[in-house]
Amino acid sequence: MGSQSKGKQETALIEIIIISAVTIAGFALQFVIGPLDFGILVFPVNFILGLVLLLSIPLKKPEALKKFGSGKVSVILLAIITVMAIYMGLVPGNDVKHSWPFAFVYLMCMLNLSLAIGKRVRKFRLKKDYGFILNHVGLLLFLLAAGPGSADMQRWFMTVTEGKTEWRGERSGTVDPVELPVAVTLLDFKMDEYPPKITLVDKTSGESQPVKRSHFLEVKEGNSGIISGWRVTVDSFAYKPMMAPVAVLTAVRESDKKEIRGKVSCGNYFQPFSILDTDERFCFAMTYPEPEKFSSHVEVFTKSGKEKKGVIEVNHPMTIGSWKIYQYSYDNVKGRDSETSVFELVHDPWLSTAYIGIVMIMIGSVTLLVKGGKRE
Amino acid sequence: MTWNEFIYFAIASLIFWIAGTLLLYKMKKSLAGEIFIVTGLFIFSLFIALLWSFLEHPPLRTMGETRLWYSLFLVLVGYVTYKRWRYKWLMAYSVLVSAVFIFVNLFKPEIHGTNLMPALQSIWFVPHVTVYILSYAMMGAATIASLITLYGGKKKEKELIPLIDNLVHIGFGFLMLGMLMGAVWAKEAWGDYWTWDPKEVWAFITASAYLVYMHAHYAKISRRDALWILPVAFILLMITWLGVNYLPAAQGSIHTY
Ligand code: HEM
Repeated sequence: MGSQSKGKQETALIEIIIISAVTIAGFALQFVIGPLDFGILVFPVNFILGLVLLLSIPLKKPEALKKFGSGKVSVILLAIITVMAIYMGLVPGNDVKHSWPFAFVYLMCMLNLSLAIGKRVRKFRLKKDYGFILNHVGLLLFLLAAGPGSADMQRWFMTVTEGKTEWRGERSGTVDPVELPVAVTLLDFKMDEYPPKITLVDKTSGESQPVKRSHFLEVKEGNSGIISGWRVTVDSFAYKPMMAPVAVLTAVRESDKKEIRGKVSCGNYFQPFSILDTDERFCFAMTYPEPEKFSSHVEVFTKSGKEKKGVIEVNHPMTIGSWKIYQYSYDNVKGRDSETSVFELVHDPWLSTAYIGIVMIMIGSVTLLVKGGKRE
Repeated sequence: MTWNEFIYFAIASLIFWIAGTLLLYKMKKSLAGEIFIVTGLFIFSLFIALLWSFLEHPPLRTMGETRLWYSLFLVLVGYVTYKRWRYKWLMAYSVLVSAVFIFVNLFKPEIHGTNLMPALQSIWFVPHVTVYILSYAMMGAATIASLITLYGGKKKEKELIPLIDNLVHIGFGFLMLGMLMGAVWAKEAWGDYWTWDPKEVWAFITASAYLVYMHAHYAKISRRDALWILPVAFILLMITWLGVNYLPAAQGSIHTY
């Protein structure tokens, strides 16, 4: 990745020594006390850190500190963080994101950003600096919210049965439900499904035919198509509540006009599946219908007296007070007939900080599109 | 308006776009070419608008409908970027990629209920992927230019380095937009904007590698030496785009559909 410093050129020796020392201290901590517990960053620790980094921006700083806000330092830090992230991306089962050295380099990045912004702000010229300010202040805010800020994030799972109201939630990985400041009444859970499909399966391997390029026929009454040398027609299709989908097929082998007819079903939680054999080895089978959309009609209450009625779907969470409620899951076994819905309740006091950061960087990115690589 | 009429609108738009791009290359003034390109954009948008009113919902549900938006946005953003930077090859490139999506839609429509899992049914899906494709185009071009400069001796440097810097900065702008739209989308779908999912880790790696390049001059790394970062960063980009699913660390990623 280029040469960091070449003999005669002015080196950043002191900066490199400091950054290395801090990173090595991180490794030592990791070795001695194990992974970083994000719990130590909860409010007010993260808040104070943010305040210090942001409020110190306009202040005049001693020369030694100023040095740490240089572009040189940013290159060193970015190179280190790239290497750490590559380790994160290559080695299975690592926990770099919760490690001390990663946290220290992350922190140094924020410090570098804060100091660099400070330098610019003190001799701010709108026309020249607005792109830099948008990108770097936005990034600093985002890093604050996504890093130390995430320690304040609460995520709870809540399973609600149709017609019932639930106040209790569980953290992922635990089983002790805790009373939350939000309650959810599930009025109705509804699921739309894509039609199931017919395919020819090799019973010895379980693979759809032809291998790797399997043919599928959507199950709809009257639908007809070629599956691996057979012309298959869906004569009838029934899918009643609480019942598994059942189709009656006629299949004619194109090579010798051999015809077979019979019932095919993928089965469900209390009905067995059925298949249509073409010979000892192959059979027609039905895939499970895949969910297209699941939605929960709910009424939501908070302890502070707020009330809201509406629909929660994947990609359409409901916001109430400082909580967001997501459609997370349902009773997978019963599928369409599920009488329960699982929600994820998220409380993230740093969300608006993150969004301000995101919007600033987005505008900053547009300035990159317009300005290109012109350098002053 | 239904998909049956798509072929007429698609072919008409393509003819206008291709002719327009050729005119940009052939004529001194760009006006004629631009008129052709804008006309093509108009015809294509008209089809989407008519299809939208026929369906009574925005055509965003099936893969075929999604590709429709790619085809439009690619040419649109290609054109806007051309207006600003006058890179004719970029105009040609976006028309080419758009044509690929159009032909996929014509020959392998998947317009009926391809099973788009619920989390993918989001308004962020199309812009998120479109800007990434544009970013890849820019970074690809920058990489080629960097290799030409590195192997082509000092003479090329003067001309190509400003071009490379432009491409990287524009490409990085698109990359950031893609990442952040992805973050907003993830927040809506999964409740968290950044979870260090393997694809996100690699997107992060790619972005920070390009940031090293963009900041390299501060570290007194010569412009020429810094160019070596670009092929490396591009390999990382390709891993993010195509390779993540094959990495051992990526088993169980939400992005492996
Ligand atoms: C969204 C991501 C980023 C973008 C788009 C970006 C872009 C830029 C650009 C274009 C410049 C040159 C500004 C100019 O000459 O007007 C610059 C300078 C700088 N950047 Fe970044 N950067 C980003 C992230 C970072 C990060 C993560 C760090 C710290 C680790 C950083 C630290 C710096 C520093 C210290 C300078 C030099 C400021 C100075 O000395 O005046 N940047 N950046």
